Amino acid sequence: MRHAGPEALFYEEDKQMDATTAMYVAQGIHGLAYGMVLFLVASGLTLIFGMMGILNVAHTAFFMLAAYFCYQIVAWTGNFWLALLVAPIATAVVGVLVERFLLRRIHALGLLFELTLTIGVMFGIMEGVKVFWGTENLPLAVPALLEGLVNIGGMEYPIYRLFIIGLSLVVLGFLAFILYKTRLGMVVRAAVADADMVNALGINVPRLFMFVFGVGTWLAGMAGVTIAPILTVFPGLADQMGMDAFIVVIVGGFGSLGGALLVALISGLLSSYGVQFVSQLAPVLMFIFMAIVLAIKPTGLFGEREG
Amino acid sequence: MKKRVKGIVWGVILVVLLLYPWLFGIYFTNVFVTFAIFALFAVSYNLLLGYTGLFSFGHAMFFGAGGYATALALTHIKGCPLLVALLFGFLGAVALALLLSPIVARLAHSAFAMLHLAFSMLLYTLALKLRGITGGEDGIGGFPIPPFHIPGVVSVDMTDPLNFYYFAMAVLGGSLWIAWFLTKTPFGQIIVSVRDNAKRVDYLGFKVPHTKAIIYALSCGFAGIAGSIYAMFQDLISASALGIAQSFAPIVMTMVGGVIAFSGPIWGAGIFALIEELTTRYTERVQLVEGLILIIVILFFPGGFVHLLAVVKGKWLEFMRGKGSGLITGTWFGKKSRKKTTEGNA
Amino acid sequence: MNILETKGLYHDFNKLEVLFDINLEVKQGERHAIIGPNGAGKTTLFNVITGTYAPSRGTILFKGEEVTGCKPHQMVRRGMGRSFQITSTFNRLTTFQNIRMGVLSNRGIRFNLFCKVDKMHDVTRETDEFLKRVNLHNERHLPASALSYGKHRCLEISMALATDPDVVMLDEPTAGMSKDETRYAIELIRQLTEGKTAVIIEHDMDVVFSLADRITVLHLGSILASGPPDEIRKNKAVRDAYLGEMEG
Repeated sequence: MRHAGPEALFYEEDKQMDATTAMYVAQGIHGLAYGMVLFLVASGLTLIFGMMGILNVAHTAFFMLAAYFCYQIVAWTGNFWLALLVAPIATAVVGVLVERFLLRRIHALGLLFELTLTIGVMFGIMEGVKVFWGTENLPLAVPALLEGLVNIGGMEYPIYRLFIIGLSLVVLGFLAFILYKTRLGMVVRAAVADADMVNALGINVPRLFMFVFGVGTWLAGMAGVTIAPILTVFPGLADQMGMDAFIVVIVGGFGSLGGALLVALISGLLSSYGVQFVSQLAPVLMFIFMAIVLAIKPTGLFGEREG
Repeated sequence: MKKRVKGIVWGVILVVLLLYPWLFGIYFTNVFVTFAIFALFAVSYNLLLGYTGLFSFGHAMFFGAGGYATALALTHIKGCPLLVALLFGFLGAVALALLLSPIVARLAHSAFAMLHLAFSMLLYTLALKLRGITGGEDGIGGFPIPPFHIPGVVSVDMTDPLNFYYFAMAVLGGSLWIAWFLTKTPFGQIIVSVRDNAKRVDYLGFKVPHTKAIIYALSCGFAGIAGSIYAMFQDLISASALGIAQSFAPIVMTMVGGVIAFSGPIWGAGIFALIEELTTRYTERVQLVEGLILIIVILFFPGGFVHLLAVVKGKWLEFMRGKGSGLITGTWFGKKSRKKTTEGNA
Repeated sequence: MNILETKGLYHDFNKLEVLFDINLEVKQGERHAIIGPNGAGKTTLFNVITGTYAPSRGTILFKGEEVTGCKPHQMVRRGMGRSFQITSTFNRLTTFQNIRMGVLSNRGIRFNLFCKVDKMHDVTRETDEFLKRVNLHNERHLPASALSYGKHRCLEISMALATDPDVVMLDEPTAGMSKDETRYAIELIRQLTEGKTAVIIEHDMDVVFSLADRITVLHLGSILASGPPDEIRKNKAVRDAYLGEMEG
């Protein structure tokens, strides 16, 4: 049999090489999975910023909230799949409520106040989860169906990670379809480019904002649910993912989904392989990268907005 | 008549400050010192935000830089005098500001905010990693706190919390006064003009980048002084002083106290100190209370506590028609982010 | 004597050419109007002369010295003032504070961190006098955003003059004004520019013909004609470009 790629090595090299390759591949999968989840979070954030100009500081708190919702639903029903469906929607509902009753009221005050409000919401959610669920790590099991490893072409891959990648791609595809193939998506893209213009065309912009905020939060929710079994559910979840997600949005470019995808994947792979090779410097690398990109191109790699 | 009332009020405040330790005891004296440190930190932040219109998400790095500079000076320089250590703190922060100044000078709002976040996170991570210099997670502590020493005249032991209180009040109060005075000078007029319309300032013959650089350096210097006192007060400085939470502090304090007035951040620091003291007795969820208060303030009193005071005093209408008008509505970073367009089309 | 001159001025934005071979001559003490259809390049010309952009080609001479490539604040310090088509004031500051900025600049008080500005009595006096001249003294404590449109526009014009420039460039000063406001603005401009040189972009022909000593017509980025009002009125090419707008 002729194979391209790592599988080929399996047949021709000795055991020593296999382990190394297997490790690289495994790390690659881990990195890609993390990167895809990062992209889900970042995509919501960049959509919201792109359209409304608001840097939603509370975004990663929503991400974490979804993980807690997921935990709770599994605790009640034992059904992860139900949680996967319901938790992101529940999170999106919270997001929509925040937009409708908090953000919209102060919209006229400008971006500084909107941003400060999201800081307040962030504190509220981050501390609120501690009130309801305590401060310890809450374990969440990977559903039985997705546990363990699968053997594809002689290499073993962790099923759950593949699931994450797969699910993320589906969500991404769905998002892309809506954005680029439907009328609604066209309106959203137009509003991301120029909200005032869209308003002038008679489209109900407040409702659009609410919708996009809800979708953005839903994306964060999906990310939260999928990563919960891996990272476990705990109050520091938002911080951990938070910085990375913001870096992805900033470096990739505000409002740019493509940029977010690229940087998210790079970031995921970097952190996965980076820990291996430059562990001391790993966390610093992304920041240096961000600082350099911003110093040269302040709007991010693919961003065009002048904030 | 008004001037006399003002004079009396300030007189009373001064007397209370002088007698504070005896009136309220050591514990509350220390609480007050912490409040004063953050009051200066927040005011320094507002010099950028409220006065010049520059929003930074990483102001903590200057606070931390001041703290580390002072700690390192006191650790490594034998017999380093108190005021020299303080000076190191100030200069450390200013040096960092001057380093970043050319990079951040011409950035638009979000980029300015984010780049500061990036650098502060970078410094935070470096502070954690470079154990040799910064002591890593444990930070630098236990350095000698020198006495306030004027050769041949007086030597006051600064490890006594009472004495340190007076020293801190002098330094922090003095810095606050200088910052306030700054806002009253012609330069103070230029920076608020830059906030409102930098282009016009350029067209009136002022050099905008130079102006921004100066206020930036001063603001960061004040933050450094706050950090320096902080390090000496605790006899400890660690990476948390540079962290993101520390960067949030001046933002929320300024917004809750009132971004529209000089005293706003001071009120904000006081309110947060009060919240900390009152809430920790009942619950650990202090940040939840702070978050809720922040939301309520933004929704109902965007101008912060200062706004609330003005309403209570029945002066809000007058304020809104006078110098307060427009400070709240519309123009705070109000222009929605737009794609770049070419200027003019006549 | 030409106080302001451009020689062979060209400008393009990323290869989109907007100004071609502009040879403008503004004599000292005159009121020079620049007219032309929308898109002719008038504001761009202003932007190039006042230093917002450096021209792609050509030179600019101000008071006999070459100033090509000077930045706006340098042009202002050399004695040029500018107003904008879209009102550009310090909206959160009071009318008084707005004008005071010009006065401070003119006196070279810039990086002064050592005196209370409110205690600078001669600055205050000069600002107040100027406010009286432009009839904004009653509104001195109002924030600029609270002014009516007409008054706000007058503030805009006044700020261009607050630095006491030798040459003031006014970009559509009467934009959006009613007939009465326009008449008032014309008088104001006439008074304030006594003894100074003024270059005015205008669409309102009433303004142009009541104020201008000479007119330059810009069309598609080039100078179509330049001369006294009567000459321009009779110029066939100008009439063709404008079709009837010249009446009155």
